[in-house]
Amino acid sequence: MNPIDPRLHEVLDGELDPASAPVELGHAVQRIQAVAALLAAPVAAPSLEARVMTAIRRPIPSRARRLVRWLVTARALTFRVRPVWSLALAAVVALLTLFPAGHEGPYIGEHEGIVQFVGRFPGAQSVHVVGTFNDWRPESIPLEEVDHDGVWRATVVLPTGTYEYMFVVDGERWVADRLADRVVADDFGRENSIVIVRPARL
Amino acid sequence: MDIAGPPPDAEVVARVLGGDAEAFGFVIRRYEASLLRFATRMLGSNGDAEDAVAESFVRAYRHLASCREPARLRTWLYRIVANRCKSHLSRRLRGEVSFDEAPPVADPADNEAGLERAEQLSLVQRALLQLSPEKRAAFVLKHVEGLSYEEMALITGDRVPTLKMRVHRAREALLKLLEDYE
Repeated sequence: MNPIDPRLHEVLDGELDPASAPVELGHAVQRIQAVAALLAAPVAAPSLEARVMTAIRRPIPSRARRLVRWLVTARALTFRVRPVWSLALAAVVALLTLFPAGHEGPYIGEHEGIVQFVGRFPGAQSVHVVGTFNDWRPESIPLEEVDHDGVWRATVVLPTGTYEYMFVVDGERWVADRLADRVVADDFGRENSIVIVRPARL
Repeated sequence: MDIAGPPPDAEVVARVLGGDAEAFGFVIRRYEASLLRFATRMLGSNGDAEDAVAESFVRAYRHLASCREPARLRTWLYRIVANRCKSHLSRRLRGEVSFDEAPPVADPADNEAGLERAEQLSLVQRALLQLSPEKRAAFVLKHVEGLSYEEMALITGDRVPTLKMRVHRAREALLKLLEDYE
């Protein structure tokens, strides 16, 4: 039920002579007219002419320039996601974190183990590890000085077994690993370090 | 005040399109007051309205050649401002811009009657902001800016019966919201 007499609109739209409208409509008509009169009051604001004309006189940047500006301007990206999707996404992230798919790093066989070679060689330009596992070939397994603190490291996967090895510093200086559990004398009167590789997968 | 009388819109448009950019000043001076009032009623904020109208004028200048009927420049400008207001309200709804309500503006005389009028205006403006943007625009264009339904149709792109219905609903809603207003 509409409590407002529809003839109100006919009067305000000029379709009905107010004089022929019922007297009780007069009050509602006057209220709408009063509202309109209030809203029709001018808005106090400084003239926009100077601001607009300044913008107009300014040359328009080229299309390429606008594109560059658009590309370098930081923008907020807003995604609107239903809570149910947020929860689903959180669940997927949790699953991937708790049960990571695939392997990080090399695949390790049943009869292989992981060995980390570490040596402190301040000022060295290069360090390699050589041994019975790579037929004493000097360039095949490099160590890295990640933190530039003189500590060189390499992590390698080797078949299980016992190996003799040494470090080669700057391609010419052969050094035994003093941290090795065991050393053994070679045929040239030098001491080689010993590493025992145990299976990584038990 | 221009004693010789300001040139008609079509002439001003022709001058601007002919390269006389400064002639656009006539357009600004002629329409800024009513466009500012329309935008203020739509947005409920003086600052936002000034930005919307200034941007609309710059846009109008840049696209003046697309004003197919220069004699109807007024309704074309209202259309641009209405669209700017619509996009501003959408951004406000998405929380991208804040809403700073316009404080009541007292009469320059700053007497008791002026303050009361400012309070009444504030009350009515708040009621107006409770209407949907479509109904608000319809009411303001009809009753505040005094446009015909045909002109309103040119501005909003809606059909006359739709606009009439919106104005009717807006009147009814305002009467209800302002029941206690004398």
